[in-house]
Amino acid sequence: MYNTEIRGPLILGNKSLGQITTDIASPLYARPKFWWIVGLGISSIMMLLGFWAIYVTISTGIGTWGVNNTVGWGWAIINFVWWIGIGHAGTAFSIFLLILRQEWRSSINRAAEAMTVVAVGCAAIFPALHMGRIWDAFFILPYPNTRGPLWVNYNSPLFWDFIAISAYLLISASFWYLGMIPDFATIRDNAKSKVKQAVYGFFAMGWRGSVGEWKRYEGLSYILGGIAAVLVVSVHSIVSTDFAVSVEPGWHTTLFPPYFVVGAIFSGFAMVMTLMIILRKIYKLEDYVTNAHLDKVAKILMFVSLIMGTAYLTEIFVAWYSGNEYEIFTFFHNRITGEFTKQFWAMFIFNAIVPQLMWFKKIRSNLLIVFIISILINVGMWFERFNIVVTSLSKNYLPSAWASYSPTFVEVSVYLGTLGIFIFGVLLFFKYIPMIAISEVKAVNRYQLKKKK
Amino acid sequence: MQMDSQYIMGVFDEEDALLTAFRKMKEEGLEIEDVFTPYPVHEILENHGRKSKLTIVGWFYGFFASLGVLAFLIYTAGIDWPLNYGGKPSNAFPSFIVITIILTIFSITILSLFTFSWRANLWPSNKKPIFHEGATDDKFVILVNKEKTDAGKATSVMKKTGAIEVIEAKPNQ
Repeated sequence: MYNTEIRGPLILGNKSLGQITTDIASPLYARPKFWWIVGLGISSIMMLLGFWAIYVTISTGIGTWGVNNTVGWGWAIINFVWWIGIGHAGTAFSIFLLILRQEWRSSINRAAEAMTVVAVGCAAIFPALHMGRIWDAFFILPYPNTRGPLWVNYNSPLFWDFIAISAYLLISASFWYLGMIPDFATIRDNAKSKVKQAVYGFFAMGWRGSVGEWKRYEGLSYILGGIAAVLVVSVHSIVSTDFAVSVEPGWHTTLFPPYFVVGAIFSGFAMVMTLMIILRKIYKLEDYVTNAHLDKVAKILMFVSLIMGTAYLTEIFVAWYSGNEYEIFTFFHNRITGEFTKQFWAMFIFNAIVPQLMWFKKIRSNLLIVFIISILINVGMWFERFNIVVTSLSKNYLPSAWASYSPTFVEVSVYLGTLGIFIFGVLLFFKYIPMIAISEVKAVNRYQLKKKK
Repeated sequence: MQMDSQYIMGVFDEEDALLTAFRKMKEEGLEIEDVFTPYPVHEILENHGRKSKLTIVGWFYGFFASLGVLAFLIYTAGIDWPLNYGGKPSNAFPSFIVITIILTIFSITILSLFTFSWRANLWPSNKKPIFHEGATDDKFVILVNKEKTDAGKATSVMKKTGAIEVIEAKPNQ
């Protein structure tokens, strides 16, 4: 349990229960602001561009992309891994901090989980398109069929991936929704407008806060929390086996599962940081998402950045120590120097060096710098995936097969489209869902007041 | 149900007052129908009604799901249509573990969601009688069934322990 005096209060301003409800629920009742409508418009345009690109990809084929025989995985897989990484934040936040009994998660977990659900949805678009013939996508399901019955290959990481992402989407969405049920009931009972009462009443599923409901609510959150903790580690491990199981230089390494999981948590927490800085500023939720909260996230980022740096150096060391000429070529002549130097150093500096500035309290407490660092981390993490996917593929064993790769407009548009979907989803979340878990914050607040007495 | 006269409820402003009333009523042997709170109050969850068995049931879901998934994999890949890829064994047990774990998690999630929905009586568009609208905001409510217990005594106990009001419970639906 949270019972040290060192860390200070989690919620500032000695709020009463009614005040907490009002503070968090008021954006739901307010008229949409001008910036919100503009944001919705811009993200809709990006989405339209994305849908056009998806239409072109499906109707014409993968030939509209820049991928070729050598570099078969281009932006699609880079962005897939990038989005899945961002999508690890919610579960990492809610589950790991739930297991570690860190009460400070309750101000942030709702937003982090919302991000997770949208980001995983964005991620799922890429492998679906990359299959080529999306109308045959159901072939990946193991079902008794007319072609044999030819079952799927259970030893293939690509199949593991499909199962893992589906399970992850299901469980993170249900965990998110479960947490929202009591809050929807709060809105249903507080809202003035009949429409809001009906809509939130529909989703509140008849919640009243009775003893029986709370007991089963807690039971279910323990079940989902316990199994999602396993899932959050296994999903990105499985994504990494997509790479590690093959024999490409730079991919075939046992470092990959922990390296990917930590990288995912890194980019996820960075995105949480970006989002929370914006959210608390716009909606004036500084009493709930306090500077102390952001300081904790910054410290986590700084520490995880050390792990990332260690992983990068380990990769390079092992390439040299193994004496394998292909590994040495990939790391020393294709990444550190060579065609992809810029991308390598962008990754290294943004992920392993820049976050180390946060050792200084002055920098950690300057939110503008923290905001910039958190965005740089996500740029760096994008370059990390670029390095892994493109450098290894473009120059492997046979020089006659070497090829370069640059994305086409269609490929870039699909990516912009998913960014649009993400922004659109987050904006809808801002407007229609309580951004902070009201019931959880109330429990934390009550605990704090009790301690004071 | 005749909603008009069957229940009375004590409304509290603070958790401490609620707990005092709750303890006192248990002591006096007064039966409490239900308690509505804006967040889980663990003392009440532990001392009112039966313990939820959802977590135990969840364990069994996982146990049987893992056996079921493993049996399915072994049947389809090893017995029904063995494939030869690179001469490796078609019943590749160690690499089946990945799918087994993930599909077990998948099954536990779906099964316990439905169990939760059924046992906690919650589903989309479900409407249950709401006795006090503040119970999801900042009020704590103890509901007492007049037919099962001494209403006069319950009223006086709740008033003494700091209820801001004790009234006839008329649910709006």
